[in-house]
Amino acid sequence: MSTKLAVAVIDAAARRPLLPGVGGEKVVETHGLTKRYGTGIIAVDSLDLNVYRGEVYGFLGPNGAGKTTTLRMLLGLISPTAGSATVVGAAPGSPASLVRVGAIVETPAFYPYLSGYDNLRLLARYCRVAASRVDAALAEVDLTPRARHKFSTYSLGMKQRLGIAAALLKEPELLILDEPTNGLDPQGMADVRNLIIELGKGERTVLISSHLLGEVEQMCTRVGVIRKGKIVAEGTVDQLRGAPTLTVRGTPEETAKAILVQVAGADNVTALGDATFSLVVDLQRTAEINQHLVQAGVAVTELHADERSLEDVFMELTGTEGGL
Amino acid sequence: MYSAFRGELFKFARRPAVWVLVILLLGLAILLGYVVSYLFDTFGSSAGAQGLPQGTTLADFKVALYPENFIKDTFATWGSLGGVFALILGVLVQGSEYGWGTMKTLYTQRSGRLTMLLGKITALAVLVLLMVVGLFAVDAASSTVAALLDGKAIAFPSADVVLKAIVAGFLIFSFWAVFGFGLATVFRQSAMAIGLGLAYALVVELLIFSLLRGFGGKIVQQIEQWFPIANTGYLAESFGSIRFKGIPATPPPYADATHAVLMLLLYVAVFMAISAWLTRARDITA
Repeated sequence: MSTKLAVAVIDAAARRPLLPGVGGEKVVETHGLTKRYGTGIIAVDSLDLNVYRGEVYGFLGPNGAGKTTTLRMLLGLISPTAGSATVVGAAPGSPASLVRVGAIVETPAFYPYLSGYDNLRLLARYCRVAASRVDAALAEVDLTPRARHKFSTYSLGMKQRLGIAAALLKEPELLILDEPTNGLDPQGMADVRNLIIELGKGERTVLISSHLLGEVEQMCTRVGVIRKGKIVAEGTVDQLRGAPTLTVRGTPEETAKAILVQVAGADNVTALGDATFSLVVDLQRTAEINQHLVQAGVAVTELHADERSLEDVFMELTGTEGGL
Repeated sequence: MYSAFRGELFKFARRPAVWVLVILLLGLAILLGYVVSYLFDTFGSSAGAQGLPQGTTLADFKVALYPENFIKDTFATWGSLGGVFALILGVLVQGSEYGWGTMKTLYTQRSGRLTMLLGKITALAVLVLLMVVGLFAVDAASSTVAALLDGKAIAFPSADVVLKAIVAGFLIFSFWAVFGFGLATVFRQSAMAIGLGLAYALVVELLIFSLLRGFGGKIVQQIEQWFPIANTGYLAESFGSIRFKGIPATPPPYADATHAVLMLLLYVAVFMAISAWLTRARDITA
């Protein structure tokens, strides 16, 4: 991990109070949550996670990082080996917690011989929700036209949408969505993304794991990156990306450096070699900086803003190369 | 628990496999238990009559098909065979959930795992009861038809005997269903559970004990009385054997009905406890 990035994102717990929209009631809270399998594999390693009411929290990590295991522990499907967790103020998997949580874990699973509508009616019975909610939930995911068809005839995208409808059935305070856009076509992904953004407005909290960084970038108010079972970074997307930089290349090199130090301050100028410099400045000052350089007789051959994508940050943090 | 129970009944009522099993059992009860037997006893060739006790004819065996013997006949035919259907039912009810990955859906709704399990087992019990009542009902109806065809008197056993038979049948089928349910829970799938359930019944309790009886006699019977399927037999046989010209078709059971009921209740409790423990303790990873 680069020093700059480390400064920006590590020690998330200490930085958290400074983040906008963060604080208040914790909807998900884990302390040292650990899952160790008999074979010696540590799927989740002393995870401290806090998700606050009203936020859309993105849970990012490469395959096998421990995302799904964590979400399963939060739903009571997997027992932790050590540590503790509270979900909407109750133990994971307890009736008091489940009644307030809607979830999709990996591929949604339903009864193949029942229609989508009947599957939701069944779940409505299990969770003691009025049957009238079924139609509303199906309409929310645009599945009404195929609601009476058997689940076994559904495409993966339709199954995913039915899963979201099922998660919405209880009108939950907390939505836990494990890769909810899996298998959806681009239009379906956009629809689900917009739906999640909509659902995340107001008091509802959404905890979402995803492989799709662009998707997380658009939907989430805060992001946690997990690697080998540990949170390695946490913050808003902007914080994770760090401040954008300005790259300048100009000759003579010494004159260019003097001007840039004068304009941006010595601490904010890094020489990259070959008469190239990286500046940490407000990008709105680009034209002004260019003007100073030109007036000092510097021939500017390169001048551009560098913004790190979330993908760059992710790769750096997790040590993966496109392994999403 | 009530919402879990209602949910399970909702699934059973709409699941084709459940209906196929029940219809197959009832259909076979009519076809094999009555239609084939009636036709054989009425029109059977002299070759079929060979080996019968001296002084008896095939027609003498038709007494088994008349209403006064319908309970004994039902137990004689379906005491064990019907159990296989209940075993499959128990396996399907639990094993399919693992196959479809719906355990995670079930356990993230509202109720705790044990509540969901209790709801499922209660619904399974209702289904088994309907199966047993259905079996006796079609046999009673078939026996009535047989008696009418032969111009015989229609005389059913008394209501309390019928009720006891239903309760006994329910216990026998419940054991098989819970046995299947338990195996499906242990193996988290249907195929292995059905295979091992049938292998146990056929190989251990039928084949091995039959062979050993040839050598050990009384000792083998003393051991066998602690095994579940032997006890389903004792309970079924406690309703008596059909007599052909005054000769009972089978010897009296080795153990009495009380012993059989207690043993079957014990096995039902053990398999339910195993299922409950595994359900509570295991991680749901699929």
